[in-house]
Amino acid sequence: MKKYSLVLFLVGILLVSGVFATLAAEAPVTITWWHIQTAEAEKVLWQRLADEYMAAHPNVTIEVLSLENENFKAKLTTVMLSGEPPDIFQSWGGGVMNEYAKAGLLLDITAYLDKDGWRDTFSPGALGVYSFEGKNYGVPRDMGMVGFWYNKDLFAQAGIDNPPATWTELLKDVQILKDAGITPIAVGEGDKWPGAFWWEYLAVRIGGQAAFDAAYSREGSFTDAPFIKAGEKLQELVALVPFQSGFLGATWGDEATLMGNGEAAMDLMGQWAPGAFADNSVDKLGLGEKAGWFPFPVVEGGAGGPADALGGGNGFIIGINAPQESVDFLKYISSVDSQIAQAEINLSVPVVKGAEGGLTDPLLKIVQQGAAAAQYFQLYYDQAMPPAVGSVVNDNVQGLFAGTLTPKQAAQAIEDSAAKEIK
Amino acid sequence: MSVNYSYQSRTFKKNLPRLFQYFVLFLVVLIVIVPLVMIVFGALKTRGEFMTRPYTLPIPLNWENYVKVLRMPVFWSMLRNSLLIMSVTTIGVVLICSLTAFVFSRMKFRGQILLFNFFTLGLMFPITIAILPVYLIVRQIGLTNNLWGVILVQTSFQLSICIVILRGFFMAIPSELQDAAYIDGCNAFGFFWRILLPLSRPALAAVASLTMVASWNDLLVPLVLLDKEKLWTLPLGTMQFQGQYGMDLALIAAFITLSTVPAIIFYLFAERQIISGLTAGALKY
Amino acid sequence: MKKNSFNLDVQTLPQKIGSTRLLQDRMTIVLFLLPALVFFSIFLVYPVFRSVYYSLFSWKGFGPAVDFIGLNNFKRILTDRIFLKAVGHGLLIVVLSLSIQLPLSLALALMVGRNLSGRAFFRTIFFMPFVLSEVITGIMWLILFNPDPKRGFVNAILTLIPGLKAIPWLGDTRTVLLAIFVVLTWKYFGFYMLLYMAGLQNIPSEIEEAALIDGVNKRQMITYITIPLLGSTIRTSVYLSVLGSLQVFALIWIMTKGGPVNASEVMSTYMYRFSFVRFELGYGSAVATVMLLISLVFSLVYLRFVRQADYLN
Repeated sequence: MKKYSLVLFLVGILLVSGVFATLAAEAPVTITWWHIQTAEAEKVLWQRLADEYMAAHPNVTIEVLSLENENFKAKLTTVMLSGEPPDIFQSWGGGVMNEYAKAGLLLDITAYLDKDGWRDTFSPGALGVYSFEGKNYGVPRDMGMVGFWYNKDLFAQAGIDNPPATWTELLKDVQILKDAGITPIAVGEGDKWPGAFWWEYLAVRIGGQAAFDAAYSREGSFTDAPFIKAGEKLQELVALVPFQSGFLGATWGDEATLMGNGEAAMDLMGQWAPGAFADNSVDKLGLGEKAGWFPFPVVEGGAGGPADALGGGNGFIIGINAPQESVDFLKYISSVDSQIAQAEINLSVPVVKGAEGGLTDPLLKIVQQGAAAAQYFQLYYDQAMPPAVGSVVNDNVQGLFAGTLTPKQAAQAIEDSAAKEIK
Repeated sequence: MSVNYSYQSRTFKKNLPRLFQYFVLFLVVLIVIVPLVMIVFGALKTRGEFMTRPYTLPIPLNWENYVKVLRMPVFWSMLRNSLLIMSVTTIGVVLICSLTAFVFSRMKFRGQILLFNFFTLGLMFPITIAILPVYLIVRQIGLTNNLWGVILVQTSFQLSICIVILRGFFMAIPSELQDAAYIDGCNAFGFFWRILLPLSRPALAAVASLTMVASWNDLLVPLVLLDKEKLWTLPLGTMQFQGQYGMDLALIAAFITLSTVPAIIFYLFAERQIISGLTAGALKY
Repeated sequence: MKKNSFNLDVQTLPQKIGSTRLLQDRMTIVLFLLPALVFFSIFLVYPVFRSVYYSLFSWKGFGPAVDFIGLNNFKRILTDRIFLKAVGHGLLIVVLSLSIQLPLSLALALMVGRNLSGRAFFRTIFFMPFVLSEVITGIMWLILFNPDPKRGFVNAILTLIPGLKAIPWLGDTRTVLLAIFVVLTWKYFGFYMLLYMAGLQNIPSEIEEAALIDGVNKRQMITYITIPLLGSTIRTSVYLSVLGSLQVFALIWIMTKGGPVNASEVMSTYMYRFSFVRFELGYGSAVATVMLLISLVFSLVYLRFVRQADYLN
């Protein structure tokens, strides 16, 4: 018996050590990666990066999941509910991300960023969007600002030489365009967020950083004068009937189609606009040479600076259960080369220093510079604030567009929601 | 001559309501068909054509969109998954519901009405409302990312309507038949399996069709329970497609058409069963 | 040889008597009901209760629900103008379905009847929209309702009539609900027609033949004979139609998301928005619970007063 027990014991040790040996030698790791790029070129790029990384790290398997925007949001809700977020996933930062962080669903990568100067590769403003209470939870890949994309040919046709620099000029130009039989503005207010840009920018111009900070910190209120004035100015515009027929039910896609096919003169939109215009146009070329860009006009008497920007971008954040390799992979897709590749297909306006050169579209270069130079950079309200409030903003601005709400009512609704949600 | 004339006018008057009927029916056919045809034809145009000339006939026939979709391996895997889920769900639902409906229609026991109302609960709670708790439970059981998870959930939510329909049909079977069977020594299951079910083929076909359609078109359950792309079903793919190809309406039209074709084939097939069941004169008072 | 025993007296039947039979019956009932019960309880009833439970909390959806607020969500619902609007829209759809969709389906079923040539053809065609998913139907009609007559078929036809202009069907708060109802009818009338046709098939032709001999005309036949005999089917169809109308979701969400400005909002879209967009799952669950209650009350009342007779027959 003793003889056998010794043998058994030795065999046992062999087995156990064998097991440990295999485990220790680069245990296989699986990373789940959810992104929202469904366009062919973009999907291919992400997959290529994943393949390259897997080739360099044979023990790592990256499961890439590409989801359409709406599906992504619905699906993310359910997994967040179960407390098992994916390892790397799309995020717009701001209030929504903050909720996840507060609930302990995200991995704190502050330490990783501090190592080897990874932090310094990013433009600080953009990186800040993905941090909460001093801790970083992810990194940006794209940051831009909202501005006016316009059709130079249509402007020339109506006899407008220069894009408007003030709000009054904008209203005048709208009338000129209408008189020339051209649809002045395309907006997909059915989706609500395109129209929200208008109101938010007016608030940025009229109230400046002070107004938002006051309201957001709860020292002031969303019923302060600048927000009500923003509503009034917006309704001035709406009264001119400057939008395409059926704008209240139109989607962002419809908006992009109109612009891409040269059927509307201007569009207040973010940095993804040119790509969408091209994609949605009949000839797949979009505006091409005819495209121009100008910043949101100054509102006379407003407290905001002319270079203040409303904008946002995209990035990736890390889930709480993610293996260490996820952060390493994140680093990989945030490299300068990766960013340049992204810029070349107009997927991202780069946020990594040195990658700006990848931008081929001169207009996007202007956008990128504008975003980088802005003194006051305001993240879209529906990302900056908790989702409930953002939702209320979008809904109420739609009411302003429809004429079913007064500026005071809209502001009050937003204030009520903010009072409840922002603590 | 005058006799012929009045005869003709009489026949005409007799046929007028019939003609009117056909007119109305064909009008409805048009209303139903035109949107579908537009989509099928739309898929045969190039993207540019669809945008600029959506109402014309697709000449020349441009098969590239259909080919493109058929070439995507993901289309076929989605098709396979949808088929699998649909088949198993349908068989399960028909079996379980007929068993249940049998009890409620042909047997008496206390608390029957209350229990029946309990089963109709499913009609009042569409899956949209319950999706979050459902996800939690499926996760607890460990069936997420598994086609079986989807099958079990879909089955459960289809039970109510099928029980209601089957019960209605089962009740029409004369009780003499049942008594006769019992007298001949059949037990309840024997009666159920050998007499009731064969007689109820049209009803079963109806219930099966409903379930097949519901399962085939279900978006929410697969979306929430299935993570891996290779497990996806067709409706999921449709939404993906919409997001990915956004305004490429022609391509989307092709995808839509191809993903509905199997459902239509199944329906046509099931319809035969209904017809044959009915013409066999199964149900007579 | 076993033979047909219709005429035999019950006492003379050689069967298992008394308690064995009763036990066998009991067991049959339990066994037969078991599968449905199991599925139902786990995947339907339990989630329903969980949902009601969540409605008592203010909950963002992450982590456990801890902020118990009792019935506050429900108090909020009662004063929520938009929710009440949503309920109103739901009821409107129900009324429209009962007064337009069902009669239309019935009329078509009667027209196609049981011996119209080409019957199978019509039935197949009319049922096709039902086979499409709501997703596909929604996307399709989005294209058809495009405000630009060059792209939207409906407006193209409309502008053919002199004097009529293109209408932004889904973009105008006054027309959006109507547009949605049109799509709903298009999609579901075939289903109800099929239901009625199956019911018609169950009416023995002898009754109609006898009536014809007695000299009734077509209209009388339909009013006094066919429809009453279809009673059970009609009652079932009303039941399904009301519940279905109250619950419609995917179609509306795809086409309008409840907009513009809540003009096409119904309870299900409202609930979805609060749960998946606003992350206010407690309130969303409360809306769901109210939906459930409304359906439950309708169902109980309907079954008790209208269908009780059918059931007990």
